[in-house]
Amino acid sequence: MKIILVGNPNVGKSVVFSYLTGYTAISSNYPGTTVDILKGKANLCGYDCEVVDVPGCYNLEGENIAEKVAGEIIKEKNYDFIFNVVDANNIERNLLLTLQLIKIGKPMILLLTKTDIAKNKGIEINYKMLEEISGIKVFPVVATAGIGFDHLEKEIKEIFEKSEIANPKFEIPQDDIEKWKIIGEITSKVQKITHKHPSFLEKIELITTTPITAIPFALIVIATSFGIIRFIGESLINYILDPLFNSYYMPLIEKLASHFQDGLFKQIIFSANIAPLEGFSVLTTGLYVPFVVVLPYVFSFYIVLSLLEDIGYLPRLAVILDRVSHKIGLHGYGSIPLIMGLGCKVPGIFSLRILESKREKMIAASLMFLISPCMPQTAMIFSILSKYPLIYTIIVLLYIFFVGIIASFFLNKVIKGEANDLFMEIPSYHKPVFKNLIFKLKIRTREFLLDAIPFVIGGIFLINLLDIFSVLNFISKFFGPIFSKVFSLPVETSTIVMLGFLKKDVAITLLTPFNLSLKDLMVSCFFLVAYMPCLASIFVLFRELGKKITFYVLGFNLLVAMIFTFLFSLILEIFI
Amino acid sequence: MEISLSKATEGKFKVSKINGGENLLKKLSSLGIYEGTEAEKILSYHHGPVVIKVLNSQVAIGRGMAEKIIVKKL
Repeated sequence: MKIILVGNPNVGKSVVFSYLTGYTAISSNYPGTTVDILKGKANLCGYDCEVVDVPGCYNLEGENIAEKVAGEIIKEKNYDFIFNVVDANNIERNLLLTLQLIKIGKPMILLLTKTDIAKNKGIEINYKMLEEISGIKVFPVVATAGIGFDHLEKEIKEIFEKSEIANPKFEIPQDDIEKWKIIGEITSKVQKITHKHPSFLEKIELITTTPITAIPFALIVIATSFGIIRFIGESLINYILDPLFNSYYMPLIEKLASHFQDGLFKQIIFSANIAPLEGFSVLTTGLYVPFVVVLPYVFSFYIVLSLLEDIGYLPRLAVILDRVSHKIGLHGYGSIPLIMGLGCKVPGIFSLRILESKREKMIAASLMFLISPCMPQTAMIFSILSKYPLIYTIIVLLYIFFVGIIASFFLNKVIKGEANDLFMEIPSYHKPVFKNLIFKLKIRTREFLLDAIPFVIGGIFLINLLDIFSVLNFISKFFGPIFSKVFSLPVETSTIVMLGFLKKDVAITLLTPFNLSLKDLMVSCFFLVAYMPCLASIFVLFRELGKKITFYVLGFNLLVAMIFTFLFSLILEIFI
Repeated sequence: MEISLSKATEGKFKVSKINGGENLLKKLSSLGIYEGTEAEKILSYHHGPVVIKVLNSQVAIGRGMAEKIIVKKL
């Protein structure tokens, strides 16, 4: 029995899905798109079922990518049953999709979710009457607590055996507006709302959307989020992963390497320098970068992101940031990858999937790399400039931000097109469900492991080959004069900078032995942040957006970095 | 008096006209906004998006789109 779960966004579909499949789903990419589909197995009353979580949509004829995918899956009719998930808090809006689904002509049932919240809000639904009018079996549930599913279990056998196609008591018109009229009539019959005083969560909703209080609140949320991300990420690296790698894994590899004779083969596998982050060995740096450097931040990032998502805060953030985002050619939702990029660029690049157009993806990707250093880099900039007054660190960070803004104005003007308008539902706040959070974290981390890590390891292997055949050396030599003449930095720093993209924050600390002056430090910090994204993000970008866009983004970045490093150097010359 | 949703003051309104192509009409209609819809404007950001309450849920509408929705205050 193949079941598809269909419903509007934010109706609690994923909670129903997790409940039915017992948290064992696998996410896979829908062919030809960036939309991920979850699939899982469920056992309902002896029936082995395959359950597919169709992306949330309001309309089968929708225009955005997720809605198109949903429409395609539903119209293909390559399934036996539709479970239509409907939010009891606004059945009126949900019923448009339900009517469209009835017209598809496949057997279906209706799962009415969040009935507990609806009850608290004073919404009463006569679901027996809804069943009668629509001709579909209705099951009220509270998916977060698993309530109501026993009822479904009891009756599902008969429902599956009959596999009846819904036979509503009314004609379903073709036109959506005509459908809305019928829906209005149905709703007035089955739903009764008694006015209740706004609950605590509803009051918070108002505070966090009304501009005057929402903006400071958003700043606090963002700052706290980064604090948590950094704390979890750093702790994982410093106390668990780095010690494990260095005390258990490295000795093994060193022993293994000692059995090989020097030569090209050994260089290809172990590189000229076996130490992690110093050479390009696939077995050391190739694993250290993705697992010790990137994974902890991606993981801590996803904890915070999933939490904010489940609570329902992200759409509010998008509304708050919409106006500013438009100035740089994005809409409110487009700024979310940018904010994520402040923590770690890798999940930031993954989140570019939520953007619709190539234009937006390109602008957001360039900006993400230019506008801000990632969390570990920021920390290093603070530490290397710590012997000078704080103001200099702030100047560097402000300059980076300033350059990002200038670059984005430029991109917005140059790339044809306009940002789409924001248009989305703002869901009510919800108490996050712990089990669901863990489940989401598992799926996302697995996605990162499968989609990003092979690219990073492969990339490091490739760079080792470039190193062996002296291509890297050539590039370093090529950039040396630029460093000394244009940025007036010592020539030796060029090597560090060139290797810096392996792990950019380390490259910043490697500057310490050169005893650079304050001005030189500031200039090199800026260049290191801006000139190129780190290795992991380059390869993830390549995977997500293809070689053409990656090439443009990298080229643009390098150009901007050179021009503005030169300017920075000039400006600092005058003032310091 | 008819006025664009972006300029309307907070409170209940009725949509009298939508100045847009078929795509915009379809998009808005998916969430229950069409000529004749009664809804409530909750707040708007200065030069930014507008938030309305329609069919018992809150919907954020970008400035450009809100300018195309002509409403009558109730």
